[in-house]
Amino acid sequence: MSSKERSTISVGAQTLSLSNLDKVLWPRDGYTKGDLIAYYRSVAPRVITHLKDRPLTLQRYPNGIDGETFFEKQMPRGMPEWVERVTVPTPGGSRSEVTFPLCNDEPSLVYFANLAAIVLHVWTSRIPVLDEPEFVLFDLDPGEKCTLRTLATVTLAIRALLAEIGLKPLVKTTGGFGLHVVVPLAAGYSYETAKVFAEIVARRAATELGELATLQRTIAKRPQTAVYIDYVQVGLGKTIVAPYSVRARDGAPVSTPLHWAEVEAFARRRSGVAPADEFAKLTIRTLPGRVVREGDLWGPKAWKKQRLEVASAKANRLWTDQG
Amino acid sequence: MAHAIWSGAINFGLVTIPVKLFTAVKTDDLSFNMLHKKDEGRIKYERVCSVDGIPVPWDEIVKGYEYEKGQYVLLTDEDFAKVNPEATQSVDIVEFVELDKISPMFFDKPYYLEPTKQGRHAYALLREALADSNRVAVARVVIRTKEYIAAVKPIGDALVLELMHWASEIVASDTLDLPGAEKLPEKEMQMARMLIDTMSVDEFEPQKFSNNYHDQLLTMIEARAAGKELPKAKKAPARSKVVNLMDVLAQSLEASKKRRSDANGKPAEAKRRKKTAA
Repeated sequence: MSSKERSTISVGAQTLSLSNLDKVLWPRDGYTKGDLIAYYRSVAPRVITHLKDRPLTLQRYPNGIDGETFFEKQMPRGMPEWVERVTVPTPGGSRSEVTFPLCNDEPSLVYFANLAAIVLHVWTSRIPVLDEPEFVLFDLDPGEKCTLRTLATVTLAIRALLAEIGLKPLVKTTGGFGLHVVVPLAAGYSYETAKVFAEIVARRAATELGELATLQRTIAKRPQTAVYIDYVQVGLGKTIVAPYSVRARDGAPVSTPLHWAEVEAFARRRSGVAPADEFAKLTIRTLPGRVVREGDLWGPKAWKKQRLEVASAKANRLWTDQG
Repeated sequence: MAHAIWSGAINFGLVTIPVKLFTAVKTDDLSFNMLHKKDEGRIKYERVCSVDGIPVPWDEIVKGYEYEKGQYVLLTDEDFAKVNPEATQSVDIVEFVELDKISPMFFDKPYYLEPTKQGRHAYALLREALADSNRVAVARVVIRTKEYIAAVKPIGDALVLELMHWASEIVASDTLDLPGAEKLPEKEMQMARMLIDTMSVDEFEPQKFSNNYHDQLLTMIEARAAGKELPKAKKAPARSKVVNLMDVLAQSLEASKKRRSDANGKPAEAKRRKKTAA
């Protein structure tokens, strides 16, 4: 098929007309838009678990990862009627409401991939309760000279702090340099609660970890060898790169849920290995096989919704009395 | 929100939209009283005549405009009332213009406009039409006894009335000695642009900026009011910060609990629309 041709395929109940499947999106790897669509189809049930009912922002790369990118913070023009959508009020915005697409089924996923939407960003809440986040998030972002070992050490320290107060977090790669640690939440907590709770844990971690971690928001002021613990990425309308989302980087890496044992192994690695080098092994090539082998490590079985009342009381007792 | 500070109507063409005006920004400034150090007595001001040195009661005071050194024109309350344009009580829209055609220098102070019951439909119409056309209304408005020029802008679900300066109030910058744009080396321009790029953010998040002076002053006042001097702000902040956050978290959890208990009648925040193929 030549790159200008369209091809028609059936996905579920829908028939889609796909365009330019041979278009190369990753020029140094040769991966095409067809490869992107094939990847998303191969992990469709997993990725849809995480996208379902969450307002979606598409990050599109119509001319590949070296070309211009744009964030589509509303439903794309010409979106078929069968793709579900949600309209949310936007206080303070220039319009009073915005309609976001939802990715609730495989045909929708294929439609978005065909728009060269490489990266899928989702809200941290689902309709109809958009003002309650479904997890507490720690976005761990290693500095330029931070090693995989340091990143893993910081990540495990946060896990240990959470364990100390009775919470069980999950971990995934961001698909870039860092890791996301989340604590799945039971219903009924506000964004405010999630944010303050994350700040308490982050401050405690930063105190314990000394020079390994920083809470400094200004990039230029962060030590390059430290891990930045970002606890402010949860809020109404804020987004996170979805699990199994592809990233627009060489090698087509994927944001991949990990076993904690894998992070423990990273912490034993000789220093000198950069996080991105390790995470570059998790790509649209390797993920379909991994997902078959490991299952969804963030799937319903692992996703234990947790309460914060007891944990907060414990944190208060353990962390405020000592110096 | 407190009570309306003004009520009147927006007029444009043949349309009248009855509205109320509400404060949209409040200042964080702390206000202080002057006290007599030894007994904390409030300091009182006294109006004293500069000719005979005797205190003057209010009913003997008039206003004067100094039109020449030492020469005054006296004005009474009736004089002010005569030229008072109060009768209008309205926001009279004069014209519409694209927002970025108005220099930000002109904007002074924003107020929210809220429609009364009869005005809701027309209010929504004006707001949506302004948003769609990306324009703002320029209006003459009278608040209390002063006349202003103002812009009416759609912001979210609200129409915001932003008082503007008169052209005569804007000081021209051509009295300053400012460098022109001639022969700036391209290399340096590139560096400057790069610097701007690296410090650029996608969204302006005003909550990132806090008024440190104000916050610290307030903390000090609260500590004194609670009867304790502040610890010397050396080593302690990390810990005290966590303690404060613990309080915030406890309050926030309490609020969540309340929310859950009366969650049965929770209004839907968002409308899901599933369209079926025609």
